[in-house]
Amino acid sequence: MTQPRTCYVDISRYDPERGDQYPTMQRVQVPYDDSTSVLDVLQYVKEQVDSSLSYRWSCRMAICGSCGVMVNGIPKLGCKDFVRDYVAHKGVGRDHAANDAPALTIEPLAHFTGERDLVVNMDEFLTHLEAVKPYIIDPASRPNNPSAATHSQTPAQLARYQQFANCINCGLCYAACPQFGLNPEFVGPAAIALAHRYNLDSRDHGKHERMQVLNTHDGVWSCTFVGFCSDVCPKGVDPAAAVNQGKVESAKSMLIQLFKGSSIGDSRS
Amino acid sequence: MKQRIKGLHLEPLWWGLFSAGGVCFAVLVPSVVLVFGLLWPLGVVDVSFTTLQSWYQSLWGLVFTAVVISLPAFHAAHRIRHGLHDMKIGYGGSTTAFVCYGSAMVVTALGVIAWWSA
Ligand code: SF4
Ligand code: FES
Repeated sequence: MTQPRTCYVDISRYDPERGDQYPTMQRVQVPYDDSTSVLDVLQYVKEQVDSSLSYRWSCRMAICGSCGVMVNGIPKLGCKDFVRDYVAHKGVGRDHAANDAPALTIEPLAHFTGERDLVVNMDEFLTHLEAVKPYIIDPASRPNNPSAATHSQTPAQLARYQQFANCINCGLCYAACPQFGLNPEFVGPAAIALAHRYNLDSRDHGKHERMQVLNTHDGVWSCTFVGFCSDVCPKGVDPAAAVNQGKVESAKSMLIQLFKGSSIGDSRS
Repeated sequence: MKQRIKGLHLEPLWWGLFSAGGVCFAVLVPSVVLVFGLLWPLGVVDVSFTTLQSWYQSLWGLVFTAVVISLPAFHAAHRIRHGLHDMKIGYGGSTTAFVCYGSAMVVTALGVIAWWSA
């Protein structure tokens, strides 16, 4: 049996109930092999080193979106990010414990309010999601209308929005977006991608309601096309594309309002 | 009238000019530099000054001013304004918009005056 390789990891610790004023870094030595994820590291620390460590997780397979953290300053899903990728460049198979510089620094998602250790306040993200009405709006299909047709859709109609429907609401794109960092009122990448997803859905009739939100300065127009949101997205949603297609839609919607003379919320197109 | 302009703002206009200017910047400005900065002085492209002058004095000269000078100026103005915003200079105010787009308008006006008096 060979000794497991180990490396050092810095983890951001913060517990206001314990009276912490600021987050501090805790350095721990952890074993790893080729299959050790960042989430495995956190679980090792909680079980073997310090049971007071708080972090979120559930599925361990990049589905639930709850394990987002900053790893060496980049937003990552803990369960989809592996220690081997951080130590490999220092020489395969070497024992990194010999050099106690941390291979990984794990911090809570940037741009959100830290609540404790790696747990952030996700409400700041969820209010933006809710604001764009991310559900099918179809007045004809309310329960009180028994004659409503079922929602059938062709594969081509599905393909129009499918990519934007893959979002798992992990919030990595918000931690990546410098505009959200500057202005937390910015609706943000995932919410705009979701609005775009429903606007492109053939079953939906709620576009004019969503455009009221997207047309504002805090809607699509806060984006300066940095594009980092799409780089960090673990599901290939490409929110930056949704935001910039949203700018075209928003420009059209505002032009139509200017010519038709009715406010955006009143238009029934 | 009130309903017509409720909630509207100028950002789509600046963004439209920025997008159009981006295409011009990427495609036309390098070709103009190539033709008039390199190929013409080297004699590869052979046009006489008087031919060029009469071409510039026609409506094509105005189109040239728009796509090679004015739109790229608005593109640059938009980029600079957002760059300043990122550095929290003039954050949230309209001063930077005034200065940036104002400069692009001045450049445009000078271009038109130059064409008019050519
Ligand atoms: S768009 Fe991508 S990065 Fe953003 S919340 Fe959805 S899955 Fe996460
Ligand atoms: S634990 Fe569910 S996405 Fe990582």
